[in-house]
Amino acid sequence: MIWLTVTLLAFAGGVLAQLRVRSPLANPTLIGTLIVAALLLLTRASYGTYLRDVQPLTTLLAPAVVALAVPLYRLRALLARQWRALLLGGLSGTVIAVAADAGLAQVLRVSPEAARALLTAPATSPVALQLAPFTHAPPALAATLAVLSGLIGALILPPALSALGVTHPLARGIAIGAVAHGVGTARAREEGELTGAASSIGMGLAALSVTLLVALLA
Amino acid sequence: MTPPLPSPPPPSPTSPAPASLTARLNAPARFLLGLGVLMAFAALGQALVGALHLPLPGSVVGMALLWAALGTGLVRLHWIGDAADGLLGILGLLFVPTTVGFLQFLGAGAAWGVWLLIMTAGLLLGAGAAGLLASRLLRPEGSPDHPEGRP
Repeated sequence: MIWLTVTLLAFAGGVLAQLRVRSPLANPTLIGTLIVAALLLLTRASYGTYLRDVQPLTTLLAPAVVALAVPLYRLRALLARQWRALLLGGLSGTVIAVAADAGLAQVLRVSPEAARALLTAPATSPVALQLAPFTHAPPALAATLAVLSGLIGALILPPALSALGVTHPLARGIAIGAVAHGVGTARAREEGELTGAASSIGMGLAALSVTLLVALLA
Repeated sequence: MTPPLPSPPPPSPTSPAPASLTARLNAPARFLLGLGVLMAFAALGQALVGALHLPLPGSVVGMALLWAALGTGLVRLHWIGDAADGLLGILGLLFVPTTVGFLQFLGAGAAWGVWLLIMTAGLLLGAGAAGLLASRLLRPEGSPDHPEGRP
């Protein structure tokens, strides 16, 4: 119970910080994660203990992902008109991200376990977890790198896309969702419902395309 | 002669009888109804993934099923709208248990620098390409809610 309390309060603190500080680093998920991690280290509590305590949050994740169908349905007419941009943009983004992760891991001589875990980072963490037996990656590492990749994407992609001149909500959303999946989609929703809906399409496409890539290559 | 102002509520042509029944639920009850429906689709997606051995997350399959159910009218938007908005409003919270998992791999030490560098490069290249390609492929239209929407 105590760690559930800590997590809720740490995240609420992150939301408050975001209201006060206009910085991409003032991200509630990042702030919540850092506070919880610091307290776990200080009290020498194990991650297993923590995970048991926050089980209710983990349980709510599945219906929350299902709920992404609602904005997709509300905006269906607009999204259907732009299906080509969404489909091709999303698929190319995910494939390029997987290729870049694989190539750089080779060039930079990353350990084989980490290199395999990095392959699935552009897909949402449940996909990374389920593909681990096929990529021969340590499942926990694959899931962790995937969700951290989403978090980093949530921090750096909105300003990076602005710098590239990508201003349209659909283009921004599909780009964020294609590589930064869940946490990225939570961030994309802050820009508006259209950006969030495009991001959830990108996340769904990434789940499919990373699975296909692994099936083809493994 | 009938009076011009109708005293009994006119039969509403927009909302059928079942809709008005759920509309009479108070907000918390409607939230619970919505949460129950969302959880049902999450469970359905999970069951389907298990039965068919799909290497996809059950929740993403559940999302696709719910989208289809909304499209066919099997599920009404107003049953689940409040619950969906509520859950999506705290989506970032629901990932914290997983992100904290990096603590299990603190032992990797300096390797983290390289891992983060690779992920950052992959994110920037992938999202950059996706964003630029999608911008180019977008069909011009006077969309109501984007800032540069001059048709």
